[in-house]
Amino acid sequence: MNGAKVELRGLRRNFAGTLALDGLDLTIEPGELIAFLGPSGCGKTTALRCVAGFEQPDEGAVLVDDKDITRVPANKRDAGMVFQSYSLFPNLSIKDNVAFGLRVRKVAAAKRHARAQELLELIGLPHIGERFPHQLSGGQQQRVALARALALEPRVLLLDEPLSALDAKVRISLRDEIRRLQLSLGITTIFVTHDQEEALSMADRVAVLRAGRLEQVADPATLYDRPATPFVAEFVGTMNRIPGRVSGDKVTVLGQLLPVDGEVPATPDVEVLVRPEAVQVTPDAEAIGMVLVSSFRGSTARLRIQLGDTEVLADVPGHDTTRLAPGTRVRVSLVERPVLVSAAAPQAQSATVEGLVPQHDVV
Amino acid sequence: MAALTPEGPMAPLTPPAMTVADGPTAPTGQGRRRRIRVWRGVILAIAAVYFLVPLLASFMFTVKAPEQDFSLDAYGQIFTTEGFGQSLLLSIGLGVATIVVVLLLTLPAMLAVRLSMPKLKPVLEVVCTLPLVVPPITFVAGINTVLQFGPDYLASTPFYQTIFAIQDENFPVVLVLAYVILALPFVYRALDAGLGAIDVRTLVEAARNLGASWPHLIFRVIVPNLRSSLASASFLTLALVLGEFTIASLLHFQTFPVWIYTISGSQAQVSVAVSVFSLLITWLLLLALSSAGARQRSGS
Amino acid sequence: MSAPSEVRTAAPRGGRTRSKSWLATVPLLAFVVLIFGVPLVIILGGTFKREGAFSAANITESVQGAYLTAMIGSVKLSALVAVVGALLGTFLAQAVVTSRFRMLREAVLTASGVLSNFGGIPLAFAWIATLGNSGVITSALGLDSVGWSLYNFWGLALVYLYFSVPLMVVVVVPALDGLRPQWREAAQNNGANTWQYWRHVGIPVLTPTLLGGVVLLFGGAFAAYATAAAMVGGTVPLVTLQIANALSGNVLIGHENVALALSLDMIIVAGLVMAVYLPLQRRSARWLR
Repeated sequence: MNGAKVELRGLRRNFAGTLALDGLDLTIEPGELIAFLGPSGCGKTTALRCVAGFEQPDEGAVLVDDKDITRVPANKRDAGMVFQSYSLFPNLSIKDNVAFGLRVRKVAAAKRHARAQELLELIGLPHIGERFPHQLSGGQQQRVALARALALEPRVLLLDEPLSALDAKVRISLRDEIRRLQLSLGITTIFVTHDQEEALSMADRVAVLRAGRLEQVADPATLYDRPATPFVAEFVGTMNRIPGRVSGDKVTVLGQLLPVDGEVPATPDVEVLVRPEAVQVTPDAEAIGMVLVSSFRGSTARLRIQLGDTEVLADVPGHDTTRLAPGTRVRVSLVERPVLVSAAAPQAQSATVEGLVPQHDVV
Repeated sequence: MAALTPEGPMAPLTPPAMTVADGPTAPTGQGRRRRIRVWRGVILAIAAVYFLVPLLASFMFTVKAPEQDFSLDAYGQIFTTEGFGQSLLLSIGLGVATIVVVLLLTLPAMLAVRLSMPKLKPVLEVVCTLPLVVPPITFVAGINTVLQFGPDYLASTPFYQTIFAIQDENFPVVLVLAYVILALPFVYRALDAGLGAIDVRTLVEAARNLGASWPHLIFRVIVPNLRSSLASASFLTLALVLGEFTIASLLHFQTFPVWIYTISGSQAQVSVAVSVFSLLITWLLLLALSSAGARQRSGS
Repeated sequence: MSAPSEVRTAAPRGGRTRSKSWLATVPLLAFVVLIFGVPLVIILGGTFKREGAFSAANITESVQGAYLTAMIGSVKLSALVAVVGALLGTFLAQAVVTSRFRMLREAVLTASGVLSNFGGIPLAFAWIATLGNSGVITSALGLDSVGWSLYNFWGLALVYLYFSVPLMVVVVVPALDGLRPQWREAAQNNGANTWQYWRHVGIPVLTPTLLGGVVLLFGGAFAAYATAAAMVGGTVPLVTLQIANALSGNVLIGHENVALALSLDMIIVAGLVMAVYLPLQRRSARWLR
């Protein structure tokens, strides 16, 4: 079993006035695990459903190994899919669920049961074949759904937020499990998620979607370190927005002059996007900065620092927390390297910083 | 979940279920969708004809007059026909009494079982569902026999007086007793759904913790939270009593349906007019009930 | 907090309530035993008594001759109404559930709620006014000249469907709503076509509900008396009409208890059918959670 190449060409899909896909172009290499990442409504699920055949694009084409399958009905496509939740057939035993596709293809009972058993062993649940879906935990159900999706040896595996309904702990173990299986089978896999941590930790490449368009596609490290646009920068990981002023291709921020990376906005007043780990903090009784809150995370600690009328998040080594306790006066500086900027959004400052903290933490 | 999964604006475009099978040449989505729409339209049209024609025809039947094309006389005559007010009032009175008795019997029992004897729940469920198994006509056969026993065996005991008293023509208590039994399955199911939807135990514990007494608790905490299921239990009971013919006619009491039947021989138009009228009333009651339920849901 | 309530809340939780709470169930249970149980016992006792002595004569008589015909007629009519009503109700429900118009759905569900309760005398009169001998449609279409009559077995079935189909809609809509779109898509994804999805998943999942609906419809049609009495009087043999007849004294002297024997027969048939229903309902509740 090896993976197929999947191409999305100019996919466009309109739902009663809402543009779900707005000309999406993307090539997925054989054997690759690509994550579609984006906020609700960005079109990632629609794109996946176009590949599965549950959705017909208004324009554009889906190609698998250079063959146009856009008009092939869903039940004739060579792609296994795992749904968000509760997709196991409740009236069939686990074994029969896994063997469903083989039964539809009229494979002999003995053969399909043997194959089902093989798959149950593959997902590490060899003893549950006789049980029914409602007797399994959510994590077990999703494993079985994965086994069912793999039963017909598809050349493409589609995962539609398969972990989002699970407990945090199960989620992490299952995501490693999926990645392990995917690598050993070498199957081309599209993984839809809104959880950037999931996307970054599992995928070979991450495609960030926004309003039906591809914002950036890159490997996780590039995406994190060199986001192509402010949207990606903000959606992936935590980001500070610090007021700055552009002059030429440089920007002055916190008293430092740093080169601007990427596009330079027309207005001189900008916000400079800086990762918390690119913020350096040193105790200094004379400085204006003050530590407000310190949350310890083991190897690092995240500080919330008051800096005049803005707040800045900074990640410092965990052992520094004692000398950077809340109330400590600190000097703040940025690591010397090119930074991304975006046009200032007046009201966004504090709201964005606070809003980002709980949602998009990367530890 | 991404916003564009089926709950979104997509739902109308992809009917989630269909029964037209794929042909060997898989039709395009468009063609299949059109076939499904046609099929659905046919079913709905047949249903509309079947369910609406008798209603319209009944109405036309009542407005036919020998000399005119249209006359609402039959509806006017309803109110002047002898026995109308009396039998309607009797049926409404029986309905109200039945609602009160059945709720007073079931609500405390169901609360007690839910709160402190969950093991008894299946027993209560079976007891309250049993009347479904016994057709009213057989029930009345039994009741009738019991009532006839009275004079034979109990003449010397106070039971005789009781049996005599419950058959008072002006307010036959025996019908209330029988209707409570008939209503039990429906009331039980409505209340059980309501009790299942609220966490009674937590409500009770919270209220007790705040020092509420039991009566206060029941009328100020439990009942308001059960408002919609109490309303639907009451509605079903009322509808049942207002329409019940079998028991009343075989025990010879002139309730509303029995009255309709009695006048049908001499005044066919009026009896049909009353039938149409009673359906309208049921409809209005149900609409009032469902809008009350909707209000409560949106309020909470 | 006042002193007495303090005392009460301080009591071991549940201890006092538990010991007394069974009292709340006593009125209900006593009522059911007295008002429901006693007549049932009387039916049972009376069935096996003729002219003051223990005898199986009543029960024997109740399964012979005209009584047997009536019982068979009732079962046939109820079975027909149950199966046809369940099928039509399911199709109607499916048509409504898959419709894009929310208003249509609401309207049909409300109407079904009302019509499923629309039985008895008014229903009979509505149909008599429509398709009876001098009914509006009968005269409009000249049906009387082609020998049409509403007052027979098929006419009764047509009228019984008027409350049976809506009842089926009420029963089956939640089950159809419970069919998750993921199941259909997962089936398609595994190569199943629409028919295969219904055969292996859709219909099996719905089966408990459908059978439960059939049972409910059967029970409703089997027990119906008023509609039949108003429509056909005695021309269609039905067990309910026979019981009413016997109760009204139209039996041989000394054979009064045949009505009780017939009642017992009915309860046994209805009980057997209902016994199928409860376990089925539990099963479908688990699947459609």
